[in-house]
Amino acid sequence: MAIIKLNNRAVKDATAVGSTTQLGNLVFISKQTASSSSSVSFTSGIDSTYKEYIFYFNNIHPATNSVQFNFNLSTDNGSNYNVVRTTTFFYAYHNEDDSGTALSYGGNNDLAQALGGSQTFGELAWNQGSDADQSVSGYLHLFEPSSDTFVKHYIGSFNQSHEGDLSIANYTAGYGNTTSAINAIEFKMSSGNIDAGEITLFGVA
Amino acid sequence: MPRYKMVNGERVQLTAEEEAARDAEEAAWEAGAKDRSMANLRAKRNNLLKETDHYALSDVTMSADMATYRQNLRDLPGTVTDENTAAEVDAITFPTKP
Repeated sequence: MAIIKLNNRAVKDATAVGSTTQLGNLVFISKQTASSSSSVSFTSGIDSTYKEYIFYFNNIHPATNSVQFNFNLSTDNGSNYNVVRTTTFFYAYHNEDDSGTALSYGGNNDLAQALGGSQTFGELAWNQGSDADQSVSGYLHLFEPSSDTFVKHYIGSFNQSHEGDLSIANYTAGYGNTTSAINAIEFKMSSGNIDAGEITLFGVA
Repeated sequence: MPRYKMVNGERVQLTAEEEAARDAEEAAWEAGAKDRSMANLRAKRNNLLKETDHYALSDVTMSADMATYRQNLRDLPGTVTDENTAAEVDAITFPTKP
C-alpha cells in the first residue's frame, strides 16, 4: 500500500506504515575505497536500470598537495574516457583565518567542448590540500546515462579544504555532449594518487 | 614503483601503456604550474578588486589610499617576471586594504 496523503499528526499517530516504494528509493549499487590509487573507476552498474545515478564522495584525500580532482566519462565500458563536455563552475570560499571570502565564477575550471581530466584546473575540486586532515567530500548526480537521444547532464557539489587553508564550496554542472550511452566513469587527481577516500554509487529508483 | 587503480572495487596494476599515459599527464601537469599560479593570482586579485568596486561609483569619493591600493592590485600580475617560479608567484604578498 502506498502513502497517499499525510495530515496533521498522522505520522506521529501511525502504528504501521505500508510500502513506500512510490516515494522513490536510493538503491545502493557499489562502494569503492581508494588506497594509493591512481584512479577509481566504475565500469559496471551504470546502465538503463535507473534514470539517475548519484555518486557520494567521502573524504577523498590526495597523496600530492595542491592538485585538482577530476573525472571523465566513457561510452565503451572504460576502455577510453574521452567524452567531450561543456560545463559551468562556481565557488564560494572562506579562509580559516577569516582573511578573505568570495563568490566567483570559476572561469578556469569550466569546459567548452573539452575532454577535461588533464586540463589545467579542477572540475570537482581544485588546489586540494594534502595535509593529514584535508580532504574533499561531495556528490555528483548523473542523469539518464543510457539515453540514446539526449546529452548526458550532471550536477555536482563538493566542499574541499584548499591547500591554502580555505573552505571552498564548489558547484559544477554540465553535460557530456554525446547521445551514446555512458557506461563508465573515472575519478582521479591531476597528479599523484588518491591516497584514501570512499566513493559510493546509488541508483535513484 | 608501479601504480594501481581501483576498478569496481578491485586493485589493478596499470599496464605499461597506462603508466606511460599517466606519466605524460603528470609531466603536463608539472609544466603548467606557473600558468596555474598566475591564474590563481589573477582570480584572487579580481576578487579583491570586486570587494572595493563600490568606491568607484560616481556618488562616492574614493580616498587616495584606496585608489593606490586598487592600482597596486591591478599592477600585481605585471610584477611577475619570466624568471619567477610558480612557488614564487604563489608566495607574492598582496597589498593591504586601507
